[in-house]
Amino acid sequence: MRVSGFGTLGVVHASVREADYTSSVLKASGAGGTRRWSADVDTRLGMQLDTTFARRWSAVLQVVSEQDLDNSYRPRVEWANVKYQVTPELAVRAGRIALPVFLMADYRKVGYAYPWVRPPVEGYNVLAITNSDGVDATLRWSAGPVRNASQVFYGHSSVPLTPPLHVVGRGDIGVSNISEWGAFSVRVNAASAEISSNIGSELFGALGAFGPAGQALGARYALDHKRMTMLNVGLNYDPGTWFLMAEAGRTNGHSFLGATRSAYVSAGWRWHSFTPYATWASVRATSATSDPGLPVAAVPPALAPMAAALNAGLNALLATIPQQTSAAAGLRWDLGTNMALKLQYDRVTPHDGSRGTLINQTPRFRSGHTVHVASVALDFVY
Amino acid sequence: MAPLNVICRLGAALLLGALAGAPAGAADLVVIVSARNPVATLRADQVAAIFLGQSVRFPDGAEAVPYDMRLGAALRDEFYARVTNKSPALLKAHWSKMVFTGRGQPPAELSDSAAVRRRVAGDLDAIGYIERNALDPSVHAVLVVQ
Repeated sequence: MRVSGFGTLGVVHASVREADYTSSVLKASGAGGTRRWSADVDTRLGMQLDTTFARRWSAVLQVVSEQDLDNSYRPRVEWANVKYQVTPELAVRAGRIALPVFLMADYRKVGYAYPWVRPPVEGYNVLAITNSDGVDATLRWSAGPVRNASQVFYGHSSVPLTPPLHVVGRGDIGVSNISEWGAFSVRVNAASAEISSNIGSELFGALGAFGPAGQALGARYALDHKRMTMLNVGLNYDPGTWFLMAEAGRTNGHSFLGATRSAYVSAGWRWHSFTPYATWASVRATSATSDPGLPVAAVPPALAPMAAALNAGLNALLATIPQQTSAAAGLRWDLGTNMALKLQYDRVTPHDGSRGTLINQTPRFRSGHTVHVASVALDFVY
Repeated sequence: MAPLNVICRLGAALLLGALAGAPAGAADLVVIVSARNPVATLRADQVAAIFLGQSVRFPDGAEAVPYDMRLGAALRDEFYARVTNKSPALLKAHWSKMVFTGRGQPPAELSDSAAVRRRVAGDLDAIGYIERNALDPSVHAVLVVQ
C-alpha cells in the first residue's frame, strides 16, 4: 500500500467586478465580483492510495477536495479502479478512470506536474468532466525509437451540479495515443459521449408549447441525448533546459453547449530552480452564439412578451459558449523536490458577446473588456 | 562457457571505459545488468526509457526492472542529468504525472553502489547504475555514462 498526495494552496486577484474568474465551470465562485481575492480558484488537496494484491493486480483510489458548485470542499472520488496487467505492455482497468481528453487530462489537478498555476482555461474549461466510470485498455508499443501508449475506453459519467440540475454522459467512448521520442511527445485524443441534462429543460418545454418553430429550437439546442464529440492534439518538446507546449482541440455539443475550437502555445526556460514562462491561449465558437428564436411578430400579441422572454433566455444560454483570448506570463520556483511556488499574471479578454470562461456574471457584465488576473500558488506532492 | 562469457563482457565493458578515456573517479558511472544477462550494450535513450517507466523490456524482449539510488544521492542526480536531461525537480514532476495517472511507480531505491550491484547480480531482470570503480565480475556494464 502506497499513500501519496498532491495539493495546491492558491490565491487569485481579478480586476473584473461584474463576473468571477475561476478555473472550472463546476465552481461556485472565483475572484472578481464575489470577492477580489479568492482562494477557491486553485486550492485543492488530493490523496491517492495505490495497492498491489498480486503480481498482476493493483488498485488505485484518488480522492480530491476542492471548491465545487455548492461552495463546499466535500471530497470526491476522482478515480477508483482495479488494474490487471495482462502482459508488461497491456493493462486493462475497470472502475472510475481519468477521461483522456487533453494533453494533461490525467494530471490536470496536479499543479506540481506542470509549469503553470493552472492549465489554460480556454481549452481545459470547455470540458470540465474529468472522469468516466467504465473500462479501458492501454497498450504500450514501440516503433523504432518512438515509444507509444495507446488507450481505448468505454463508460459513462455523471457531473455533480447543484440539485436538481444534472448532466450525464452515456456511452462515453474514446481513444488516446501518446508517442514519445526523446524530448518530444505528442498526444492525440478523440472522444464522444451522449450527453443529457435538465439544464434549460423548462425553457425548451415552454418554447415547444409555441408549436413547430419552438420545437425546432428545442431539437437544435436542448441538451437531450446529444452526442458530443471532442478532438484534441497536444505537443510537448522538453529537452530539460526549456520547454515548448502546444495544444489544439475542437468540441461539438450539438446543443446550447455549441461547437468550439481552442488552442494554446506556451514556452519557458529553466534557469537553476526558476522557470519563467509565457502562454497564449484562445477559444472561439464555431457554431451560432445567438439565435433570433421565436418569430415574436408571428405569435398572438398576448403571448409576444413571453416569446420575447424565452428568446432572451435562449440567448443567455448561448452566450455561455466561451469565446476568449488570453496571454499570460509567470514564474515557477522549485523549492526542493516536492514543492513549487508560482506567480502568474493573465490578461483575459472574453469577446464577441461571450462571457468567456468567467462565471457569475451580472446583467452589467460587458464582453470585450480585458480582465487582469494575478495568481500565487504553492504546489506540492508527497 | 558461462565464465568465459562473463570475462568477455567484463573485458568489453572495461575496454569501453578505456576507449572513452575519461579519468576514473567518483563522477564516472556505469549502467549495469547481471553478468548472466545476455544484453551487451544499451544506448542512453534505451536506458532513459527504462528508468522513466516508458519501457518495460530490454531490446531483446526480456523484462527490465530498474533500481534507483536513494533520493538526494549525488550519483542519482548525475545519472538523471546525463542520461535523461532531468533535474531532480523535473524528475519528480515526471513521476508525479506517472503516479497520479496510474501509469506507474518510480523504481525501488537502494542505499549505495554495493547494494545496487548485489541486487543486479542476483536478478536477471534488474538494471541499475553504480560508480565505475564499484564494478565487479558479478555484473556487466551496458553503458558508460560520461
